[in-house]
Amino acid sequence: MQARNLAGGFAHSFGYTTGKTERRRYWQGLIAVLIAIGIYIFANSNETRMGVFWVIGLAFGAILQRSRLCFASAFRDVFLLGQGRNLKGIIIGLAVATVGFAALMARQVPNTALGTFPPDAHVLPLGLHTLFGALLFGFGMVIAGGCASGSVYRMGEGYIASWVTFFFLILGLLAASFTWNWWYEFSISDSPRIWLPHLFGHGGALIVTLAALALAYVGVLWWEHRNGAIAPDQPFKSEPETSFAAVLNNIRRRIFVHGWPILIGGALLGGLNVITFVSERPLGFTGELSRWGITVSTALGGGPGTLLGVNLIPGCVLDPGDGGVLHYMLFLVIGIIYGSFLAALFAGEFKIRVPKQNIRFVQAAAGGLIMGYGSGTATGCTIGAFFSSIPSLGLNGWVWAVCLLGGAWAGTQVIKRIP
Amino acid sequence: MAKQLDVRGEICPYPMMKTVQALKKMAKEENELVVITDHAPALDTIPTQAVRLGFTVEIKETGSPEWQITLKRK
Repeated sequence: MQARNLAGGFAHSFGYTTGKTERRRYWQGLIAVLIAIGIYIFANSNETRMGVFWVIGLAFGAILQRSRLCFASAFRDVFLLGQGRNLKGIIIGLAVATVGFAALMARQVPNTALGTFPPDAHVLPLGLHTLFGALLFGFGMVIAGGCASGSVYRMGEGYIASWVTFFFLILGLLAASFTWNWWYEFSISDSPRIWLPHLFGHGGALIVTLAALALAYVGVLWWEHRNGAIAPDQPFKSEPETSFAAVLNNIRRRIFVHGWPILIGGALLGGLNVITFVSERPLGFTGELSRWGITVSTALGGGPGTLLGVNLIPGCVLDPGDGGVLHYMLFLVIGIIYGSFLAALFAGEFKIRVPKQNIRFVQAAAGGLIMGYGSGTATGCTIGAFFSSIPSLGLNGWVWAVCLLGGAWAGTQVIKRIP
Repeated sequence: MAKQLDVRGEICPYPMMKTVQALKKMAKEENELVVITDHAPALDTIPTQAVRLGFTVEIKETGSPEWQITLKRK
């Protein structure tokens, strides 16, 4: 109850308007934080990497929740609302990650003339499967109302429909694993991995990528302007700082209660991606989700069998696993959900939300299934095959983004017709 | 009594889509719409859409985690 006393006896703002008494339940937060620390100790005692990825997951989820950063809305709202708030945040995040990734990859592959690749960078085979999978993914994420990472962070906020999407996302990935060998022979096996430093050198690839991102940012600004006025994010309303406690309280509310500016959220996510790459590999988690589905179906006697060539492809490609349960990526996925839950709890934004219309559950399930199949075929989701691929200086990330935009457009046409 | 629109429980992006639809359908003599939502991202999207349709926006917390958005014709 220390924090409540610190806040002082006066009625203070909840974040959007003054005069409401805040009803924080600090003991809930305390227990939730203790559980997070407990899981860290357990993960860390298993393997250092597991502890690291648990913390990265928590940060990932908290950043998404605090800045309301959603990849589905980023691509959809361009069409639906003529508004690019999330897309601008993502572009800033890509720029931050690009600088960090480029520096790291230049150390891993000093001589680009040799034609080798940095081993963990998300430079993925680029072919028909990329176009098909990304289009499908863009379509599915709009139908479901959230992409893979968006659904995962909303699970932590208490959106029941997102839990449905998550379950069907895993099923979609499992379905993709049954058709993987066909796709591998049809397209993936002979698709080139195009790494920009092979074409332009390290410096050139960095400049080309940053210039393209700047151009995309200006394009979003132009598109927004063309569509009319943009209301700024809700301004933070601070309390009069008449005491030191009030000063501290304003800082607390700015971080834990009021939504973060999108550009800060995007930049932090880009920075987190660099930290993740430095500690192991870039962000991405659909490979891990595929491991869950494949492991369970194989244990039940109905697995997809051998998946051709998955060991040759980095990033979020389907992962058959080794039949075990614990994996450091498991801690990343659970960490995102829990990090978002913690952030929502502190903000007072956690709530079990159940859609009133049954059609929403159908949308959540169908969207999840379509996204799962798409990310299984295109070797990743908006995080692994886009947010980690453009900074990896792979051409595949850009193609992914364009196809995602096309799929999101088609999805928007459909949801406009579902009341 | 202002018209109310309750979009609690809705998934993204229906809170903003339903708000825009309701604003467009409002009769000339109606001047105010109150939207109740529990979807925080709507706080960033509804204001822009409302301003473009000629409404002013006021966001009020109604006891966490729900918000009351009052849209008034300019």
